[in-house]
Amino acid sequence: MNKRRTTWEWPVILVVGAFFIVPMLAMTRFAMQRVPMSLLGRDTLFSRWTIRGLMNTISDDKFQPAFLLSVRLGIVTVLVVLALLLPTVLWLHLRAVQWKMAAEVVSLLAYVVPPIALVVGVSGAYRDTVPWIVSTNFGLVPLYAILCLPFAYRTLDAGFAALDLHTLVNASRSLGASWQQTFRKVLIPNLRTAILTTSFLAFAVVMGEFAISSLLLKRTLPTYMVEAQGREPQGAMGVALLLLVLTTVLFMVLGRIQKKSPTSSSQEIRITP
Amino acid sequence: MGPTRRRQKIVSELDFLLMVSPSQEENVTGGPAGSRASATSGRWSPSLILPILPYFTFVGLFLLVPTVVLFTKAFRPVTGSTTSAMVEAMNASNRSSFVFSLKLSLYSAILGAIIGFLFALAASRIERPRRLRNLVTGFSGVAANLGGIPLAFAFIASLGAQGLFTRILYHNGIDLYGAGFKIYDFWGIVVVYLYFQIPLMLLVMLPAIDGLRPTWREAAINIGASPFQYWRRVGLPILTPSLLGGTLLLFANAFSAYATAYALSSGGSRLVPVQIRFYLQGNTITGKGNLGYALAAWMVLILLFVMTGYLLLRRRAERWRTT
Repeated sequence: MNKRRTTWEWPVILVVGAFFIVPMLAMTRFAMQRVPMSLLGRDTLFSRWTIRGLMNTISDDKFQPAFLLSVRLGIVTVLVVLALLLPTVLWLHLRAVQWKMAAEVVSLLAYVVPPIALVVGVSGAYRDTVPWIVSTNFGLVPLYAILCLPFAYRTLDAGFAALDLHTLVNASRSLGASWQQTFRKVLIPNLRTAILTTSFLAFAVVMGEFAISSLLLKRTLPTYMVEAQGREPQGAMGVALLLLVLTTVLFMVLGRIQKKSPTSSSQEIRITP
Repeated sequence: MGPTRRRQKIVSELDFLLMVSPSQEENVTGGPAGSRASATSGRWSPSLILPILPYFTFVGLFLLVPTVVLFTKAFRPVTGSTTSAMVEAMNASNRSSFVFSLKLSLYSAILGAIIGFLFALAASRIERPRRLRNLVTGFSGVAANLGGIPLAFAFIASLGAQGLFTRILYHNGIDLYGAGFKIYDFWGIVVVYLYFQIPLMLLVMLPAIDGLRPTWREAAINIGASPFQYWRRVGLPILTPSLLGGTLLLFANAFSAYATAYALSSGGSRLVPVQIRFYLQGNTITGKGNLGYALAAWMVLILLFVMTGYLLLRRRAERWRTT
């Protein structure tokens, strides 16, 4: 019944698709082929491909600290965001329902204050009173947590909303479990998808964040890339490519997880009252 | 896999990857669950508030206080002047960078919205390889979150003066750089931003397009409408709030972006965020630090305005999607 002729659809898909693919190809070539652009032709297309530029940069003694710093910041930010939001959203769903609206509006404020304004405000407010926020590497964590707040809040909120929370908590508590046990053994397993989604997104955001770390003069992976671009363009391009691949893999794994359990929570535990 | 199921999947995907939650309303009004007992004991009772206090404190300390400080500093005058920095921030040179930023955001939002909408429409109408749709949405989820430094690098490699695509065009008789195109100029940045704007629009529009019920179309055709008339009179009017809302979202997205333009231009762009950096780094010398605060404060005001419009439009767009 749905026998539509497709006329303009394929051209649109193909043109837009090309727009998305060409920059990736160009980037790969730039990162891995040692043939000047002016000499690139049909016969040199496959010659002199190498990952030496990338390897040079990776073995650069400034790369590893930058990379490790970004990874550490990512992990710590994920932990802070989860530690902050899990109990809060749980309580908002369980008891403090009147505060849900306020909590959500507050989480959305981060969209109104762009990263550049956030870092300017934070350094204006705390540079003299609480200097570690501006001066130490891990002072970035609170700012990154704020950046992640809007999507983290919504993801976890949706995760809790899909649970039959009262039944779960009451069942667990009446069986003699402490709050801690309830949290660890009942809630967290049921919220796996939401927690993983939040963690992956937050990690990806931190790995790519530039505005804040560059303004506070921190040597994270993105600021390193910009700095290395002038010195070793090919290597910097290779690192950028690596970051892209990492992000893409992260998102693909995420898609898998979400697909596997479309509404994992509501299906697995149907304890009908 | 009914259409509603599929829609739900996409909506949730969107939800996770971006900020758009179609189920916001029901959450916000507060479900019936849990409102017993606690509702009577008052919203300010300590036992109720205590567990959520850390969250509000954290946001207060790291988001609200900085924003308030930002505005108080922004309203103070610049050294050696009596007018507020907010006013001075709209003087000649700064105004021109606002105009540049706004125009850039507007163009990239409108172009991104149009192309993204067509892209979404095409993806939703093609049925043959079933996986195409999944591929497109999955990819969009990644691309909409890209941006930053790697994106700038990718475009330098393809559309820079020595870029792959620039070269291909050159060999086919089109001299981009001869015609005055530069990757770090206005149109260059617009093209680069489209890389994340188009997928974002797709993610906003796909659920809305899926929400167009086949029965509406059939009803229109039955009473003699042509496909064109159906779109003119039914399809587009229903999609209009989503389209406008999506455009505003794209605008805000472009307006607050910083890293990509910075890396494209090696820090020399006229964009407002780059100007802010300039004032703040030189503030001890020039005494114009407050100007940086004022520019940032103006950004917040503009984004507040745009995002409010977006939320209102989204509420309106959902009118057709309920039941």
